[in-house]
Amino acid sequence: MKTLATKTMILILGLVCTSAVNVPTFAQSKSSVWDGVYSEEQAKRGVTVYQEACAACHGVDLRGDSNSPSLIGVSFMFLWEDRSLGELLTKIQTEMPPANPDSLPNESYVDILAYVMQVNSFPAGEDELVPGKYHQILITGKP
Amino acid sequence: MSFRCFASVCLAVLATYINLVARAEDFKPVTEEMLRNPPPGDWLNWRRTDNAWGYSPLEQITRDNVGQLQLVWSWAMEETAAQETAPLVHDGIIYLPNSHGVIQALDGASGDLIWEYRPAVTKRVDGSATLASTNQITRTAPELSGAVSGPGVQKNIAIYGKRIFAATGNAHIVAIDALTGKLIWDVEVADSSLGYRYTAGPIVVKGILITGISGCSRYKDDVCFITGHDAATGTELWRTSTVARPGEQGGDTWGDLPLRFRAGSDAWIAGSYDPGTGLVYWGTAQAKPWASAVRGTKGNALYTNSTLALNPETGKIVWFYQHLPGETHDMDEVFENVLVDLDGRKSLFKMGKIGILWQLDRTTGEFINATDLGYQNLLTVDSSNGKVTYHEGMVPEIGVQIDMCPSTSGMKSWRAIAYSPRTKAMYIPLTLNCELATFGPTERILGGGGAGPVRRKNHMHPRSNGMLGEFVAMSVESGKILWRHRTATPSNTAALTTAGGVVFGGDWDRHVYAYDESTGEVLWQTRLITSAQGFPISYLAGGKQYVAVPAGVGGASWSTLIPRDLVPDIKRPNHGNSFYVFALPEK
Ligand code: HEC
Repeated sequence: MKTLATKTMILILGLVCTSAVNVPTFAQSKSSVWDGVYSEEQAKRGVTVYQEACAACHGVDLRGDSNSPSLIGVSFMFLWEDRSLGELLTKIQTEMPPANPDSLPNESYVDILAYVMQVNSFPAGEDELVPGKYHQILITGKP
Repeated sequence: MSFRCFASVCLAVLATYINLVARAEDFKPVTEEMLRNPPPGDWLNWRRTDNAWGYSPLEQITRDNVGQLQLVWSWAMEETAAQETAPLVHDGIIYLPNSHGVIQALDGASGDLIWEYRPAVTKRVDGSATLASTNQITRTAPELSGAVSGPGVQKNIAIYGKRIFAATGNAHIVAIDALTGKLIWDVEVADSSLGYRYTAGPIVVKGILITGISGCSRYKDDVCFITGHDAATGTELWRTSTVARPGEQGGDTWGDLPLRFRAGSDAWIAGSYDPGTGLVYWGTAQAKPWASAVRGTKGNALYTNSTLALNPETGKIVWFYQHLPGETHDMDEVFENVLVDLDGRKSLFKMGKIGILWQLDRTTGEFINATDLGYQNLLTVDSSNGKVTYHEGMVPEIGVQIDMCPSTSGMKSWRAIAYSPRTKAMYIPLTLNCELATFGPTERILGGGGAGPVRRKNHMHPRSNGMLGEFVAMSVESGKILWRHRTATPSNTAALTTAGGVVFGGDWDRHVYAYDESTGEVLWQTRLITSAQGFPISYLAGGKQYVAVPAGVGGASWSTLIPRDLVPDIKRPNHGNSFYVFALPEK
């Protein structure tokens, strides 16, 4: 019978190996918001949802108001530069709207994210942003 | 429809009609005299009396019997925005402000609805439709309530004569018939597309509605202001800017920033009035962007974060006192002005987000005293002259993190203090919290600005012992703390003091507490469907004393961000704006 220590050892080794294998692929597939990671169509859907669910506080032009931060320009980049789209999506989905988080369909949150990218002048591409991909996409200044 | 059914509908309609006619005959118009000295059972100003005590002289509910309080009725409220309601009561009828401009009149004893005013849906007194302001329709029609522009918060309303007065989320002021709920007049005060809006309603002095506007965080070619309107006609009588313009007296306190970059100074909490001094007292908010490094001026930025004493007839600023000159951490001082005479001095007490209780001479505006609760780590205030000195390293620079207490959410908020003349104490709802904050830049362009971004990590106050909420009784005579009641979640309602020796408050975790005014012992408590939130009141209906407590959600970071981050294991429903009325059982 294996001791607890050996079991733990095996577990740790397993973890180290998996991550060792994973790291290179992860780095390779990493991209930025400048790589056309959402589609025009998606951003268009995002406008509608944004105006319905977010504009009352963050403004129709996303510049924020009162305690609601700006989601555009230098203020947005100050908060989000070098963080991933996944992190931003999690923030929006788990915390917004403040009185009713996670109240929209998952796709709507992703559509809003596409719209936020569009107004921040990150280029659209062929494909829609899809779940699973956005954790590897970094928000960065213009390359 | 069968005849029987038809007849019963007729009867019901007739009964309602008779009821309305009877009420019309009974209705006692609210006079200037009544506003200044309300009948004991009425709640005629947003803090009942114009000195903002939040104190009810009713004494049927006492420390001995409060333990028997029971729920008598409750009422679901509008869910379209944050709950910050401050109801009024006249002759047993409650006038209840809801979000997005909705107002209801309810029978205080039974909870029956008497009328409802719904912007863009309720007809005018003359029967015509309220099509005058298309603005309002697009923003508040119920079918579009999910798409409303502006947060839709409605704190207080006012009553005078036979009318209810309200200030709307799209920067209008409206007069509503107190007997029918019909619209009498509606004036647009400012252009809501520029961001202007009201979240607080008027107070009434000598037939003049005095109202403070907000929505000035972003850059525009104008500033925030306080107005005087004729209650009879809605005519604007005066308008006083809350920001010193270039070239005016005090204008140089913004350096050489042009008018459009002088933002903030929103007047988002209703003021007080003293017929003795003849002055109205109004608070102004901090400058925007919050951090002076981001604003682009290290100047004092008048008249932000000040108490203004105004002549109610002309709007002239008779004196002002700036609590935190050149404020730079979002430490708003806009809140309620509590007027108390102490040692023969007509005083004005006020506490802002930073948790310092200021005492000013309300005749002259002279500084008298400042009592620091001792929880903030930003500055020192000299209690002999009010001079503020920021601690080394605590003035934010762009991109440099500081560990500040309180957080930008503040220790004190719109949840108002109540004063009791029996104990000579202030009862103060607080939230003890701090923040690792890094302030960031904004664009200095028209339409830009705003509060400014803050990279923010909230943490518990080191002296909170893991308890976020504190409800504290502080003697105004000695400045000593008489007692504190700590709660796991923010102290989330305004305070209510009563002549029965019972003080009421509530927390985010849905509790309502009745305290012994002298010892802080919890004599009674109950639990609501969601956070206790809003302005509790006490009133008489049919000769019986009631205590009413609002509940609800939204209401800025004390109700969202702070509990979510700091007490994540405690949950409450994220909806449920509502209103609860308690009384002693029938004998
Ligand atoms: C009732 C007003 C309100 C609504 C509606 C609202 N927000 Fe917010 N939002 C805020 C406030 C206030 C904050 C500041 C943090 C907090 O209090 O949680 C915030 C913070 C944020 C942040 C984080 C900014 C940072 O600090 O990094 C993002 C992103 C955001 N909101 C996006 C959205 C989106 C997208 C929607 C619509 C689905 C939305 N918000 C709806 C008020 C609102």
